[in-house]
Amino acid sequence: MTAGTAVGKGREAARSAAMTIVLVVVAASVIACGLLVGARPLSPHALLPALFWPDGKIDSILVWTLRLPRSLAAWVGGAGLGVSGYLLQTLTRNPLAGPGLAGVTYGAVAPIVACFVFLPWLPSVYYPLVGTAGGFAAALVTFWISHGGTGRPLHLALGGISVSLFLGAVVTYVLILSGPQTTSLLFWLSGGFQGRSWVQLEYMSVWVGVGALGALASHRVLGLLALSEDAAAGMGLQLTLWKPLLLLFSVLPVAGIVSVAGPVAFVGLAAPHIARLIKPDGPGWTIAITATLGGLMVATADIVARSIAAPRELPVGIITALIGGPVFIYLVQRSNFTSTMGVER
Amino acid sequence: MTAARLSGPSVSAWTLPFFALLAIGALALAVFIGVVDIPPSQVVAALTGHGPATARSIIMDIRLPRVVTGILAGIHFAVAGLLLQAITRNPLADPSIMGVSQGATLAVAAFLLFAVYIHDPGSNTLAVLPTEWLPAVGMLGGLIAGGVIYALAFRRNLGPLRITICGIAVGAVLHALAIGLIAGWGSERIEILLQWLSGSLYARSWEHVVFLLPFTVAGLAVLPLLRRPLELLRFDAPIARSFGLSYRLQFSLALALSCCLAASAVGVVGPIVFVGLIVPHLARFFAGRRSSAVLPLTIVLGALVVTLCDLVGRLAGQAEEIPIGVVTAICGVPVLIALLRKVP
Repeated sequence: MTAGTAVGKGREAARSAAMTIVLVVVAASVIACGLLVGARPLSPHALLPALFWPDGKIDSILVWTLRLPRSLAAWVGGAGLGVSGYLLQTLTRNPLAGPGLAGVTYGAVAPIVACFVFLPWLPSVYYPLVGTAGGFAAALVTFWISHGGTGRPLHLALGGISVSLFLGAVVTYVLILSGPQTTSLLFWLSGGFQGRSWVQLEYMSVWVGVGALGALASHRVLGLLALSEDAAAGMGLQLTLWKPLLLLFSVLPVAGIVSVAGPVAFVGLAAPHIARLIKPDGPGWTIAITATLGGLMVATADIVARSIAAPRELPVGIITALIGGPVFIYLVQRSNFTSTMGVER
Repeated sequence: MTAARLSGPSVSAWTLPFFALLAIGALALAVFIGVVDIPPSQVVAALTGHGPATARSIIMDIRLPRVVTGILAGIHFAVAGLLLQAITRNPLADPSIMGVSQGATLAVAAFLLFAVYIHDPGSNTLAVLPTEWLPAVGMLGGLIAGGVIYALAFRRNLGPLRITICGIAVGAVLHALAIGLIAGWGSERIEILLQWLSGSLYARSWEHVVFLLPFTVAGLAVLPLLRRPLELLRFDAPIARSFGLSYRLQFSLALALSCCLAASAVGVVGPIVFVGLIVPHLARFFAGRRSSAVLPLTIVLGALVVTLCDLVGRLAGQAEEIPIGVVTAICGVPVLIALLRKVP
């Protein structure tokens, strides 16, 4: 490697790092501004004492048990969905893959919806556990169909999508049976962070953290896989070990997030594409930018969702699509990307 | 795309006739069996225009149009899915990546909302909803969405990836708008929309057949012309052009055809995801290496799947029917999984 390319390489990495930091800073300031707005607006004067010297009064409760944990949960959720979407898009080599592709989303949603309708006596604190268990069960089935993801990429994609279709049909049927509860279920099915606090944040963070750190740690493997599977195998990569492992890393965050916040649409699908448009330096930085971008998207959408029609809440999934969709289209129109992602051939 | 094909172990010339016979058998079964027990002799009599009036009206006005609508819609979805998977070179493509399902959903939701609230505001009486307009409204919504996506992708170069990505984004926005409408709607009369959303053949009549048939005939008539372009669209644009293909024109033609087929069917029966997404894969699996058999098999399987699943939904739910979209997914997925497991 010549000195020139090394310098270029370093510059690329510095640009990606700067981008990541910018995204984190923007997200932090959005969350900080989000603390001010809501059903009961706070003035910046009132915010600072409430934030740094909590005194148990209404303002500090507002900040510390309602708005801050909720925004952080939204950020963590978005980051996890982004990472998971990126992993699945790489594994299946398909730009249409999203975090739900392995069947986890509907695996988590179906038992929760069923509990909501058929077991109304079950306290809602158990829903995350039920959802995570369901998500893993569905992922196991997908693993089984696709031979642990070691077969062809199409196998994994088709297996996951058939599991999702099956469970989605079950959810629809339960919805039709549920009668008057349908609207609130539909609302939940669009995802939301209403009333989520530190407990849920901790619960989610564990799953997201393991998945994201795992993905970051295996960024070299992802770089090889992005070339092609044959190339990766030629470089001495053990596909039978790494593909199931990466699949697991993609499943973990979703199982944690969906069971807490419901299926938040669009972020996991779009964030990796937008991150690729920024052209980061290697898979490691792509993961970092995808995660911070996903976090920014969901945290922003969550603040909009709770404040635009306060005190009513809108489903966060709607806002992510309504804001993210046009931005995404604009970026796609502007860039002349031809092969930012290998399409399954 | 060759690597993406599921190639089954059994390659037989009898596959197509077998499934065609099966489809005809399913058609007969769907006409003869129903919630109301009618002896076969009366069914035959009704089909030839004799027999008691009730049997005749059940067979000729309820069962037969419903079965025919289902067959046509199944063909539409399956062919649209096959075309889209071929031209976008994405095995996960289905009519929803052209925004057809989401556009139709939004149009139908907005239309019903408008109808419920404008028709008779503030009253508790159940207004008769103008359901006869739904096919046209849904189709229009689907076509507009497809047109928007096409226009967005067309502004630069019309590549498969660009149109896929534009489709994702526009589809997500439209879907969000539709869910927003539904969530803001409240629970009033929402069951009609839910039924439509999960796909239903309930109370489909000859009018629906008449609505669909021109599209089916025109679409199937155009398909042979698209055969060679479809083979070539599997390649990158420069390679396809080097074979003498006017890439942009043929790409647009195939896209427009699949949009029309899917949008008309979505308008009539609602989105049935499974048929558009999975039936082409089933067809490829059964066709094996004989790629010329994929298209006819897709058509036959589309008709077969919808007919059989509608029959199951009708019988299993008894008075309360299970929507066809739910049945196709629940019955079809195990078949697909079994096939996927068989392929190494």
